Amino acid sequence: MTAGDAIINIRNVTKRFGGLLALDDVSLSVAPGERVVIIGPSGSGKSTLLRTINRLETIDSGKIVVDGFDLYRPGVDIARVRQELGMVFQSFNLFRHKTVLQNLTLAPVKLKNMSKEKAERVALDLLDKVGIRDKASCYPAQLSGGQQQRVAIARALAMNPKIMLFDEPTSALDPEMIGEVLDVMVALAREGMTMVVVTHEMGFAREAADRVVFMDAGKILETGTPEHFFKNPEHPRLRQFLSQIL
Amino acid sequence: MRRKPRSAGRGENLLPADAFYDSKADRMPEPEEKKSISIGDGAAIPTHADSGLFTAWRIAFVGALFAFGYLIVVHPDPYARIVRFLPDGILVTFEVTFASIGIAMVIGLFTGLGRISHNRAVNLLASTYVEVVRGVPLLVQLFYIYYALGHFVKINDMVSAIIAMSVCYGAYMGEVFRAGIESIDRGQTEASLSLGFSRHQTMFYVILPQALRTILPPVGNEFIALLKDTSLVSILAVSDLLRRGREFASTTFMYFETYTMIAIIYLIITLLLSKLVAFMEERLSRYDRR
Repeated sequence: MTAGDAIINIRNVTKRFGGLLALDDVSLSVAPGERVVIIGPSGSGKSTLLRTINRLETIDSGKIVVDGFDLYRPGVDIARVRQELGMVFQSFNLFRHKTVLQNLTLAPVKLKNMSKEKAERVALDLLDKVGIRDKASCYPAQLSGGQQQRVAIARALAMNPKIMLFDEPTSALDPEMIGEVLDVMVALAREGMTMVVVTHEMGFAREAADRVVFMDAGKILETGTPEHFFKNPEHPRLRQFLSQIL
Repeated sequence: MRRKPRSAGRGENLLPADAFYDSKADRMPEPEEKKSISIGDGAAIPTHADSGLFTAWRIAFVGALFAFGYLIVVHPDPYARIVRFLPDGILVTFEVTFASIGIAMVIGLFTGLGRISHNRAVNLLASTYVEVVRGVPLLVQLFYIYYALGHFVKINDMVSAIIAMSVCYGAYMGEVFRAGIESIDRGQTEASLSLGFSRHQTMFYVILPQALRTILPPVGNEFIALLKDTSLVSILAVSDLLRRGREFASTTFMYFETYTMIAIIYLIITLLLSKLVAFMEERLSRYDRR
């Protein structure tokens, strides 16, 4: 794959937190429609890497081009780029003062000048898709974690983004709720959404990923298909990691 | 002066900013706790959660009403006469309070935003304002604006009283706004930014509406504290409740009776207001309920 085809192109990115090298000369490209899953131990830099893709983190050197926009070039309209990038957080981050429906309609109405009626129609369709239409008038605090995360996915989709970023979407959930969120993500993957997912769910990686990336200590150590990854892991660090979690 | 421990307590008692999370480590989401800011100065807010205080509020309120009624009915002279003399003063007290709190909230909003601004100059300006105002007693500020500024420009008594109260409370209100804004989880900002909202839009659509709920109790508190502090304007030529009482007492020499009535009236007003704040607080917290 050449850099020109990629919708996300990360080139030689380095980032430090104080003395710690969080990202160490990382390069990664994602093609349109591709599902990339990033795995790795805690503190390996995988969440940081994901967050640099919509500039929630600063970087010290390197270059990231998303959908044709050079993210860290001064003067880039970052808000415009972020409209194309849906993001789902570990801690859901639903707007606590808004109902589920209002969480979904706020951005399309304010940022895309969509009429309230149309935004609500779209929102209800999305809530149908994630299976919680009946909770449309609830406040986030009234929902379970799994329900909140599904609303968060629907909220990101309401902006009709080209890319979806998931930052450990199931790590804060009780085990019995993980499945409902993963189901929504798998369905999204089947529809052809471009996805970059940081997760510990190897089942999801196996089922939905086109490519799996293993990170440790701020470096990408191995990249490959799920097949290759789980059957013939090469790097000793990856073998050790897999033996610990599988 | 009672203002001193108050200003010392401010800032430290406010919620810690949860800005210092560690984004590189795998973060666990914060538990969905109810955020609140506790500054105990205006009046105690009687919520149902605090049953002891709720009962205390009832005792104080019923007691004050009873004392008021008893004095007027059993000793109409001089108490009924005093009460008939005071309504103008109550009106002025409320006028000064409402005008000052309104202006103070606007000043406070901008000061609070200034205090968290990334713009060095704006931040420094807001912080300096807060420091200076917090360091000068309200009574001195009142004298200063009334007499010192009156030297150069002719300002009406009432207006200078309102300016002084607003400037003073604007600084305190700024700290309340700042703490309220900083108490909102950083994830809310990140979620909003990631949807494509600008920093300003994020502040106005996402952060401030939530901060407003968090700061309502302290703002209500400030309101009540301000109402009580308006009694200071009686030393200027503003005929507020206390000043009217002094006028009555100085002609009749009934100091004890007059100030008893004044105290009861202030108490009834502040108790009613603290109840109102509690009611609003419960209404606004509906989305936190499960």
